[in-house]
Amino acid sequence: MSKLVAIDNINHRNIKIDVNKIEAHGATMHLAPAVVAEFVHLATHYPIVLAKNGDTGQFVCSAMLGFQAGENLFWAQDKWQAVYVPLQVRRQPFFLGNDAVKGTAEQTPQYVVCLDVESPSVGDQGERIYHDNGAESDYLQEAKAKLAELLKGESENKVFIEMLLSMDLLESMAIEIKFVNDESTRLNGLYTIKQETLAKLSGAQLSQLHENNYLSAIYAMVISVGQMYSLIDKKNQRLSS
Amino acid sequence: MSNAIKTVVVVGGGTAGWITAGRIAAKHQSNSTTNIKVILVESAKVPTINVGEGTWPTMRKTLIALGIRETDFIRECDASFKQGAKFARWVDGSDNDFYYHPLVLPQGFIKGDLSPYWHARQQGKNAGTSFSNAVCFQESICEQGLAPKTIRSGEYRDIANYAYHLDSGKFSKFLQKHCLEKLGITHVVDDVVDVINHDNGDIASVATVKSGKISGDLFVDCTGFASILLGKHYQIPFIECNDVLFIDNALAVQVPYEDENAPIASHTISTAQEAGWIWDIGLHHRRGVGHVYSSNHTSEDEATQRLADYVGPAIKDLSIRKIPIHSGHREKFWHKNCVAVGLSAGFLEPLEASALVLVELSAEFICEQLPQTRQVMNVVAKRFNETFLYRWQKIIDFLKLHYLLSKRTDNKFWSDNRDPQSIPESLQEMMELWRYRSPADFDFTSNNEVFPAASYQYVLYGMGFKSDYTLSPHLLNDWDFANKQFSMTEKMIQQALQQLPSNRELLDKIKQYGFAAL
Repeated sequence: MSKLVAIDNINHRNIKIDVNKIEAHGATMHLAPAVVAEFVHLATHYPIVLAKNGDTGQFVCSAMLGFQAGENLFWAQDKWQAVYVPLQVRRQPFFLGNDAVKGTAEQTPQYVVCLDVESPSVGDQGERIYHDNGAESDYLQEAKAKLAELLKGESENKVFIEMLLSMDLLESMAIEIKFVNDESTRLNGLYTIKQETLAKLSGAQLSQLHENNYLSAIYAMVISVGQMYSLIDKKNQRLSS
Repeated sequence: MSNAIKTVVVVGGGTAGWITAGRIAAKHQSNSTTNIKVILVESAKVPTINVGEGTWPTMRKTLIALGIRETDFIRECDASFKQGAKFARWVDGSDNDFYYHPLVLPQGFIKGDLSPYWHARQQGKNAGTSFSNAVCFQESICEQGLAPKTIRSGEYRDIANYAYHLDSGKFSKFLQKHCLEKLGITHVVDDVVDVINHDNGDIASVATVKSGKISGDLFVDCTGFASILLGKHYQIPFIECNDVLFIDNALAVQVPYEDENAPIASHTISTAQEAGWIWDIGLHHRRGVGHVYSSNHTSEDEATQRLADYVGPAIKDLSIRKIPIHSGHREKFWHKNCVAVGLSAGFLEPLEASALVLVELSAEFICEQLPQTRQVMNVVAKRFNETFLYRWQKIIDFLKLHYLLSKRTDNKFWSDNRDPQSIPESLQEMMELWRYRSPADFDFTSNNEVFPAASYQYVLYGMGFKSDYTLSPHLLNDWDFANKQFSMTEKMIQQALQQLPSNRELLDKIKQYGFAAL
């Protein structure tokens, strides 16, 4: 469970964040939402896929951590077993709240930093978020920077996905996997780069992608599909141990 | 090449006009200068009839061919999903009398026919499961008010086959906008006052009030019941079929939903009345309800009362529109260099939503087979006429099938409908065949049949008709296959009920988020 409250330097001055407990938030996550800017990092460990949000039907970018709901194959011995951890996990336990007052919809929404006070990382151990004098700690500054990156990523992802769709660069992945225990799973509802179209893009299209700095993200997606093998390997190791 | 077909003039701008113009323009790239030019002339004065709020799954193909996004179409035409039709009170008129004609084929239909097995099961522990519920998962979806797909399915993709209900007034405006912005059609808003012939009897041009003469090589008559080119100008006779189909009037109302969370049926509901039936079509923001009846069997007052009983107290604030129905079609549809599409070609009662599908099929034929020269046109015209006469006849047969299987006795309307004198010979022959076996694709000779054999099965066995298989025991020699299909259907029903949102929920989400393009 989580309970989000807006932070301030009066009520939360003495709160500390235990950084060792942050990644536990992703312990049972099998798809971690991802932003385009981190694709090149993610590709070193995880398959990067697109899936549709069940509620809105719109595409979302994710790093694949497991094959079924609740399964994070990178979580073992109470630790995240990879050097790069998705931003969406590292941002914990902070969130952005929308402070838009009703009736002022036309104004730019004002964001406030919120804290999940139910998070196991929140307590009296670890990094302080405010100094004794009420000033923000470096740690909080960093956390805010992550939130800003996520917020920026949200709109960037949208433009990125729109462009992929308009250039016919997406296709659904049809993968049937058999694990060591002879159990098989069919991956449904995941999408990746359609390499056939990628190979045939015109010069104009390529330069449009380049101007938006999307080429590295696209190739990161292509290469990251290979991480599927190491993900299968992780699953098999888990099954046979 | 002086007689090459370069310019197509569509006269009339209802849904028929815009679909036909749009399909020709999209196929033949009328937005480039070198190709076929498409001109649509329509009067600002003539109101469109706006019949046909129900479509067939073909509409998805039509919209794709026109380059239309499904999200835009659903949002702007107040459209909703249609998964076939529920026929209530058609057999004996009792409260629990209903059956479905779904849009999904019976399970395993391509590999084998389940009807004999379903008949045999009626003796055992599975007795009482309706034909459509035993062989197809769609009836359960409809009964639960669920949509045929989820918001994740994407544009035009389905989990269960579907068509649409739409607001036809909004639809023709939507098509017009799309055709003009995207497909390069020349639009002339003016009244056609004269038709000018070449010496050979072909139409050379249509004369308008302000825009002068509009010349063309092919003229498409989409002028509705007026049938200005094919009917008035060429005097092609109209073949009545009121000796087979007795419906001759409709009383239509637009009924608002009780509140914004009211369920939206994802199928057309057709409820039989004493001398006709009532349609009930759920759009996203209102229902379209109407009573079609035979004026030889009931009065307008009586019919109005039936409609009021059906709609309930809300009727007192609604305006009832009366539309005469003249059942029949032209003797031929393509004459010289003129082809009629839509109401100008003919009209039948809307029992199986045949109006728009005939427009789509005609438009598809014309754009796919658009003759290159005037000589070729004679061949294309001949084939068009053969194809569409066959289609009209088959639709008439299929509509009649619903009436002749009824056991209702509350009005002479029903017994007159069962009178062999009123049943086309082609239908009588098929009924003879089906006494001993179920309808099969072999029974139909066209490669592009309007109603597949499965549709006949759904209506026949939904209405309680029994084929006698005792002389064909070989039809029951693969129970393994049959049992597998029956249990597969049950499994699919369970899955669908878990997976699918309500029709209202999905339509609201499309309004809010839209479908992803893939």
